[in-house]
Amino acid sequence: MIHDLAPQVFNGLVLGAFYAIVGIGLSLIMNLTGTINMAHGSFMTLAGYLAFTMVSRGTSFWFALIAAPLIAVIVGIVVERTLVRPLYKREPFYSLLMTFGLSLMAEEIYRLVWGANGVPFSPPPGLASAVSLGFMSFPKFRIFIVIVLVIAMIALALFLTRTRFGLRLRAAVQDTEMIAALGTNTQLLYAVNFGLGIFLAGIAGVLAAGMLGLSPTSGNALLMPAFVTVIIGGMGSLFGSIVGGLLIGMAISLTTLWIPAASEVSMYVLMALVLMIRPRGLFGEEGIFG
Amino acid sequence: MSRSSINRRTFVTLAGAGTAAAFGIPAYLPRIGEAADTLKIGVIEEYTGVYAGPAENETAGFQMALDAWNKRGGVMGRKVELIKEDCQNDPGVAAQKAHKLISQDKVAALCGTVNSGVSLSVSGVANSASTIFIDSGGHTDLVTGANCHWNTFRTCHSTWMETHATGYSLAKKFGKRWFLITPDYAFGHALETGYKDVLAKIGGTIVGNELTPLGTTDFSSYLTKIDAAKPDLVIVLVQGDDYTNCLKQMNQFGLLKKYPVGGPQVEIEPLLGLAPDSRSGYWGVEWYYKSDLTLGKGNTLAHEFVEQSTKQFGKPPTARNCFGYVTLDRLLTGIADAKALDAVKIAHAIEGVRFTSIFNGSGYYRKEDHQLMWPMWIAKIRPNGTPGDKYDLFDVIDMQPADSIEQTVAEKEKVCKLGYP
Amino acid sequence: MKARTELLVAAPVVALFAAAPYLAPLVHLDISIVSEVLVTAIAVMSVNLLLGYTGLPAFGNAAYFGLGAYGAALSVQYFGFHFIEAILIGTALAFVGGLILAPFLLRRRGIYFGLLSIAFGQVFYFIAYRDTDLTGGEDGMTITRPYFGIPSAHIVIHELSFYYVALVVFVVALLAFRSIVRSPFGRTLVAIRQNEARVRFLGLNSDRFIFVALLISATMAGVSGALFALLINFAYPLELDWHQSGYFVLSMILGGAGTIWGSLAGAFIYVIGKDIISTITPLWQIFLGALFVACVLGFPRGILGSLAAIWPRPAAPAELDANAAFDAHAPAEAPYGS
Repeated sequence: MIHDLAPQVFNGLVLGAFYAIVGIGLSLIMNLTGTINMAHGSFMTLAGYLAFTMVSRGTSFWFALIAAPLIAVIVGIVVERTLVRPLYKREPFYSLLMTFGLSLMAEEIYRLVWGANGVPFSPPPGLASAVSLGFMSFPKFRIFIVIVLVIAMIALALFLTRTRFGLRLRAAVQDTEMIAALGTNTQLLYAVNFGLGIFLAGIAGVLAAGMLGLSPTSGNALLMPAFVTVIIGGMGSLFGSIVGGLLIGMAISLTTLWIPAASEVSMYVLMALVLMIRPRGLFGEEGIFG
Repeated sequence: MSRSSINRRTFVTLAGAGTAAAFGIPAYLPRIGEAADTLKIGVIEEYTGVYAGPAENETAGFQMALDAWNKRGGVMGRKVELIKEDCQNDPGVAAQKAHKLISQDKVAALCGTVNSGVSLSVSGVANSASTIFIDSGGHTDLVTGANCHWNTFRTCHSTWMETHATGYSLAKKFGKRWFLITPDYAFGHALETGYKDVLAKIGGTIVGNELTPLGTTDFSSYLTKIDAAKPDLVIVLVQGDDYTNCLKQMNQFGLLKKYPVGGPQVEIEPLLGLAPDSRSGYWGVEWYYKSDLTLGKGNTLAHEFVEQSTKQFGKPPTARNCFGYVTLDRLLTGIADAKALDAVKIAHAIEGVRFTSIFNGSGYYRKEDHQLMWPMWIAKIRPNGTPGDKYDLFDVIDMQPADSIEQTVAEKEKVCKLGYP
Repeated sequence: MKARTELLVAAPVVALFAAAPYLAPLVHLDISIVSEVLVTAIAVMSVNLLLGYTGLPAFGNAAYFGLGAYGAALSVQYFGFHFIEAILIGTALAFVGGLILAPFLLRRRGIYFGLLSIAFGQVFYFIAYRDTDLTGGEDGMTITRPYFGIPSAHIVIHELSFYYVALVVFVVALLAFRSIVRSPFGRTLVAIRQNEARVRFLGLNSDRFIFVALLISATMAGVSGALFALLINFAYPLELDWHQSGYFVLSMILGGAGTIWGSLAGAFIYVIGKDIISTITPLWQIFLGALFVACVLGFPRGILGSLAAIWPRPAAPAELDANAAFDAHAPAEAPYGS
């Protein structure tokens, strides 16, 4: 039993780390302005495709890992200024619908530019193989994903607690009116916040392209788990997103062991349970969505 | 007036203009090239969605057959024209498009589809309108099985054919202890049933059968169980993007080096989505552009087709191109032979007729279930292609004749009643 | 709107649709797609009731739509039921679905309600997809359209007759919808949307009102689904997916949330627009997405709502105009509880 359990638990945690990165980006965008970004998956796919194009032109994976998300951020900020901003004063469901429409457009555009078939994108040779962990062989790339998560978390934490901008961001989440009254440029804040969320989405997208496949419909599959992560972990809490991600990863892995048919549904069942029992999630704050 | 709402006059003008344009255009814009006396064939394909790649390739095949026939003067003295509709990978939309093509565009017949659900939906609509439908690329057994119709034919191999073309050879080569990775829905179950039938006949065992639910992008939880099961062979039944994901992850887990991998079918399209180090194994292939075994030695028609297609579309034709070509070619032949547009006559003209085409040997649409009986092949993957040709991914090593891989007429007749009027 | 003005609007619309079998071919459309417009309009009405009037983001109505579709298909396929019974059974199944989910959905408001509906919808979707033996999975369920009326009469419904059946059902549904939203019950729903706390302070149990609204919504979506299954002689899992729910919501917004005719207008634009654009170009999805983005940003009140806002007419009391809440500059209302 332990023999079966250990690989699944380990695998679940690593998978969870990946979902956590995706969830945090989504959570950042949601926390400050209540924007529900149904196009988050599309931004991930965009970064993946950009990385693919860069690597096939000869750049290194490492360069693409940073550059592709940055380009996605530029696109993201343009989108935020033109399409998302008008919706800040309205209920969250408008941003949900608008970004849903955006994701439909994005999918078709990707098909137009990069073709309908999947494109091959691999981890760099150093990370492409598996390493023996004793109780199982495990892909180096997945371990790399965990490392990226840890670095991203530390960087984000430092940014939010040690920089003035980060401080203002946290203050704005608590009380936007007050911080505007104190003279902060809230529009800049919103744009940077959105950009940050997209940057994380971009990183997750490049990692996903390396681990899974890359095709115009790739974003769809990752969107729902991202939402479930944020809901379970708690809207308004970045730490909650990490926990939420890990929980989902574990839930999927363990149900695969015992009730395989239910593994993808388990995510939605968890989501429903959390929404009914404690809608603000495990670590969420009251008042984000009423 | 505020900046994000529209003012009165602008709104009314826009709305009026928009409505007029939207509904006026189709009425007055003639379909390009439409002439009163062309013979119209309706094409329904999944141009948007996950099957867009294969759909485009099937259409390329249709185009080649169309051009060939039109160069020879068309059918019954009339030029042939294709009217294409995007079914959006949705059986409901497909049904509506089929209605439109039949009643508004007045097509003589329908062909196409990749998604099995769409194939079944279109087959039903065509049946109620007594119109011929040739399913070029939807593989579910039901199309020529329990849901067969007198007006429906199918070109690509059925799911049963796929498993039986590959099962015996795989067992012979690698052994009889199999580990299956099965997509947990209708298609996967059909493949699973097919392989279970093969294993039962040769005394093999399934040492692991992982049912992966819909939407699984991460196969790690299933892959970690393979080592414990110690199989001779890992059979991958997932298709399309899932296939790409699964193999990529198998490679990352180091499994491709440890165990042989194989399955009922693979197409070039998903392989191109994989990096060379993840391409591996022995798979069924429904046709291939560069092997004497699939094309037939000295088959000039086949070689010309490959050459022409490569020149016209910039890449070698895949099995999907072949499905498209054979489908339209045989459809037009049937209409020409029947010398009529009556669907019953066309159906009788198509069925049972043996023909040679761009594949090795000959084939015929079986009278009892309208399944195209043609050989299927097995290939070993060449991860990097051959020098100068990155598409040359298959090393075709074996061929299986149709009669030995599909269910017998007797077995089929138990489920399929064509129901000629 | 006064009764006479209403009739003045309704009569030409009904006449137009009655003449559709002759008009549709003129714009190169088959009558069955107009049937689809009417059937979809019923589903959009079900979303309108919850979202347009009561203010609850109904993102899971595809689940009831699908239950209606599969209910009808299963009853025809396995039990040999006929046309009318199939519709009734499909509707009943959707009603039961609503009955089961309503107590859970009732506990939340606002976006949580929306996300919960999505979650439940997805669970149903997975069941339909996986339960291959019963539902055929992604191959879908093919059925033969059953006879209409008394079995011995052997009345076969062809596409034209189906259209008129759909038209009748739609008109009945529309009349029902209209009387619901005009009734005190309907007004209470709008009041709940504006300020649920106030409604409760007035002594009304808002939960009970919402419960009934949920059941009505589920039933309407079920009728729509059952009709759709009989229209295309097919039932398939995609009908239950959250994208389908999303399309219903978007149709509602396009047409005019919180208006009586808005559902028809939105369904018309969505179904026919998508059909025509997809025939012209495979890039239809870009246009559809752009339309949604433009609609949400530019005229969230929808076609009819925007029309009503700019047309000179005696102003209706603000509380009765459910569509006004969708105005681009209406302040965001804080949902009650959560």
